[in-house]
Amino acid sequence: MNNRSNEPSRLNGPSRLNDPSRLNDPSRLDEPWVERAVALLDESTDALDAATLSRLNRARQAALAQRRPALTGWMIGTGFAGAALALALAFGLGQRHALSSLSVPEAIEQVGDADALASDDNLDLYENLDFYAWLDAQQQDGNG
Amino acid sequence: MMLAQSCFMNGLDRMPAAPATADESHAVERFLRETERRALRMAEFSTGNRAEALDLVQDAMFGFVRHYSARPAGEWSPLFWRVLDSRINDWHRRQRVRGRWLGWFERDDEDGDDPIAAAPDLGEPGPLARLADDEASRALELALRALPLRQRQAFLLRMWEGLDVAATAAAMRCSEGSVKTHLFRALANLRKYLEAHR
Repeated sequence: MNNRSNEPSRLNGPSRLNDPSRLNDPSRLDEPWVERAVALLDESTDALDAATLSRLNRARQAALAQRRPALTGWMIGTGFAGAALALALAFGLGQRHALSSLSVPEAIEQVGDADALASDDNLDLYENLDFYAWLDAQQQDGNG
Repeated sequence: MMLAQSCFMNGLDRMPAAPATADESHAVERFLRETERRALRMAEFSTGNRAEALDLVQDAMFGFVRHYSARPAGEWSPLFWRVLDSRINDWHRRQRVRGRWLGWFERDDEDGDDPIAAAPDLGEPGPLARLADDEASRALELALRALPLRQRQAFLLRMWEGLDVAATAAAMRCSEGSVKTHLFRALANLRKYLEAHR
């Protein structure tokens, strides 16, 4: 296929330009000027300037970037799910850490406040707060 | 091997670039690095312009990596040259449409005098022998640029790149007989051109 590695044999052999069969076999293309032309072409690739070589390098790297695995839809979805899970875990652990960092009475007080706020009885208290204020005033008047 | 080449070239199924292992990526990169300079010169002979040649080589690299880099490494060379040849052909078509394409060699590319019959069979070293390297390089470059596209591609792929007839035919998308004809004419025209300039 690519015979560059076998070049030394390419230009040896009989020389007859009007012999079409020689074109089947590069080793029979032995015109000395062809050999010189090939050498000159090789030299011309060695003489390329740095800017050109840099541009070739960038073109090659850009082309090769297509072979690197791209982010697919399921990868993106999995990433988002993972991030959400990590966030939830961090939040839960943070809450737990906040509670555990309190002193026991403070913790009980916080839990107690939460229980008090959540209790149905206290909802009644808030709804009848005016009544209890009036009752308290009556009692004070009676005492006084 | 020729049969295998013909089979894969006839099929030429494009395979999308698959996510690659590091070894595969390195192999592709090594292949491109070893090939890119000759590819640039080849494109430059056709366009006469380095910037345009660089664009063509970059396009060819993209096309090759996207469609063919997943193929076995043994198939890469003719496939890459095929992609580049296609880009060069497209460039020439665009230039023809714009009316920029003028080549005195092209006028007798297919229908002119038979260069094989007219070709000298000389025992002397040849037209480049008496020229210093710089002069010879310049004369060769001018001669290559003056060649018709298909002759130039046949000469460069066959004689410089070292592809065999079957692989050259695959790269140029023509028959093996056409490759031989183009190469005959290229050799004859190059010799004629270089002799006129020495």
